[in-house]
Amino acid sequence: MAQAQLSGIKTGLQADVLPPRRHPLAEFWRRYRRNRLAVVGLVIAILFVITGVGAPWIAPYSYTEQNLDAVELPPSLAHPLGTDDLGRDQFSRLVWAARTALIVAPSATVVGVTLGLVFGLMAGYFGGWVDRLIMRLSDVLFAFPGLLFALLIAATLQPRFEAWLLRFEVTKPWVRSGYAEFLVVITALSAVGWPGLARLVRGQILSLRREPFIEAAEALGIPAHRILFRHLLPNALPPVIVAISMGMGGAILAEASLSFLGIGIQPPTPSWGAMIINNFQYWRRPSAPWMLWAPGLVVAALVFAFNFIGDGLNEALNPRERR
Amino acid sequence: MARLLDVRNLETRFYTQDGVVHAVNGVSFHVDEGETLGIVGESGSGKSVTVLSIMRLIPSPPGKITNGEVIFEGRDLLKIDEEEMREVRGNRIAMIFQDPMTSLNPVLTIEQQITEALELHLGMNHQQARRRAIELLKMVGIPAAEQRIDNYPHQFSGGMRQRVMIAMGLACNPRLLIADEPTTALDVTIQAQIVELVKRLRDEIGMAIIWITHDLSLLAGLADRIIVMYAGQVVESAPTADIYRNPRHPYTIGLLQSIPRLDEKRRERLAPIEGLPPDLIDYPQGCPFAPRCRFAVERCFEEDPPLEKVGPEHEAACWVKPVGQEVLAAWRAAVLES
Repeated sequence: MAQAQLSGIKTGLQADVLPPRRHPLAEFWRRYRRNRLAVVGLVIAILFVITGVGAPWIAPYSYTEQNLDAVELPPSLAHPLGTDDLGRDQFSRLVWAARTALIVAPSATVVGVTLGLVFGLMAGYFGGWVDRLIMRLSDVLFAFPGLLFALLIAATLQPRFEAWLLRFEVTKPWVRSGYAEFLVVITALSAVGWPGLARLVRGQILSLRREPFIEAAEALGIPAHRILFRHLLPNALPPVIVAISMGMGGAILAEASLSFLGIGIQPPTPSWGAMIINNFQYWRRPSAPWMLWAPGLVVAALVFAFNFIGDGLNEALNPRERR
Repeated sequence: MARLLDVRNLETRFYTQDGVVHAVNGVSFHVDEGETLGIVGESGSGKSVTVLSIMRLIPSPPGKITNGEVIFEGRDLLKIDEEEMREVRGNRIAMIFQDPMTSLNPVLTIEQQITEALELHLGMNHQQARRRAIELLKMVGIPAAEQRIDNYPHQFSGGMRQRVMIAMGLACNPRLLIADEPTTALDVTIQAQIVELVKRLRDEIGMAIIWITHDLSLLAGLADRIIVMYAGQVVESAPTADIYRNPRHPYTIGLLQSIPRLDEKRRERLAPIEGLPPDLIDYPQGCPFAPRCRFAVERCFEEDPPLEKVGPEHEAACWVKPVGQEVLAAWRAAVLES
């Protein structure tokens, strides 16, 4: 780089001396770091991932192990968060529930984002009847309250899907092991999640399409699919990345809400929402408040964390927020 | 010289909610091999829409080419399919745009943007394309091209970006380069550099150029021929010297009168053209320039004058066709009096 600067000066073109070049990732981290809460959020999110991945090694007990001699115990060294009404270790269930959330939330987000990206790109780039069809479909989905619609899908899909899986030898065990529940919840959450993202992407593409550099690319004879994926998509990504991060928090909350309402993830598979509803009766009994607080606080912390990350990403990626 | 491009009776309309915009109305002109054609006119005169129609880059809807032929290298570009047209764009005809600040993709490096066309049209592999791209950057005068090629557009100044745009345009050795007001967004000194650069490259490569501008003075040392556009029509067409020495259309005369001159004997005020160009939705009957014209007679408001020969290569669309320096002086006096 020093060489480039030298030759720039030599030719007398001082205005064109290279600005100090930082690696884009280093530059991104410099801006992201300025938001303290975003850094805190990132730490919480990393802890969440580590916990979910390492659940078998972190949890001191199995999440199904019952000890009816030790029910509703307060926190102690043996049971850091006490035990529930069946004598299961609360801490272990909390850790295992992180794995449930770690499977459901990112999968639902990835599926929802993929659908949203594809539909949004198509609507924005092709316009006309493609655009109208996709946007009316998203309007219909938007008309339902998100959680209610996810509930509806999960509740109606689950028995049919499981009955269908039971018809095949290969897929039969999936129902017993609870994979089917995961698939149902992921489907329900991504069905609710894509329209918002599709609209976001469509808006981005519509405004970018009229940019002179897209006209210039067309004047170079670049085919439509290359313009779409190589020239338009990367420019539309920053707000999408922010939406993905925020969507993760939303998906965790939605998964907990569904299991709180008894839809989706079924016991004994641990889920934070299910733990809350299971221990709900203790709300008024001051004897065991930890049974409610622990899962509630974890869900709240994660939702906040992903929103903070979203804010931090927004500031780091959005040129208008640059200081 | 061989005919490279022949545009005949081109007509482009935009179907908007407010009505049909008559953007280009029966434009005909030609460009020979290696020739530089200047197109002059004020904003909204249809210059850009004309060349975008040639490239078939009119956004559709709302735009539509409703009539005409664009014969390039013996083929009518308006009749070939999209696939063939893509082979022409960037390969046989290249285009550079007005604003170099927004005409480069901010998320791709210069290398990615130049090599894309080379790999696409000339089937080069990545190594060859990169070597050619560096060569091109050197040709357009980018210092330290080997390093700069991996930079992003925001690391270049406006003048340097326009050089990069030119390098992209020249990448596949086009036969025709269309420059749509390439210097409008640049400083005057940079403007001169870019014009010099294009002149040098034209002489080295031997391509033809269509140079669009609203600045008639810019074309003096650059264009072989000039066509003047007004309200989507060609109103005058002549070799460059004739346009300056012997303009025959009142609009051209008006344009020349509004250029400040250094060799003026007395300190004189500039004589602007009064009024505004016509509404292209409610296209006027008669000559579109008549309401602003100091020479207009009754016929001008009733019948649109056709392009008529007034010299060996000189055509003008005017019923009056005023002549000579006295006319210019009279115009000036009349304008300054009012």
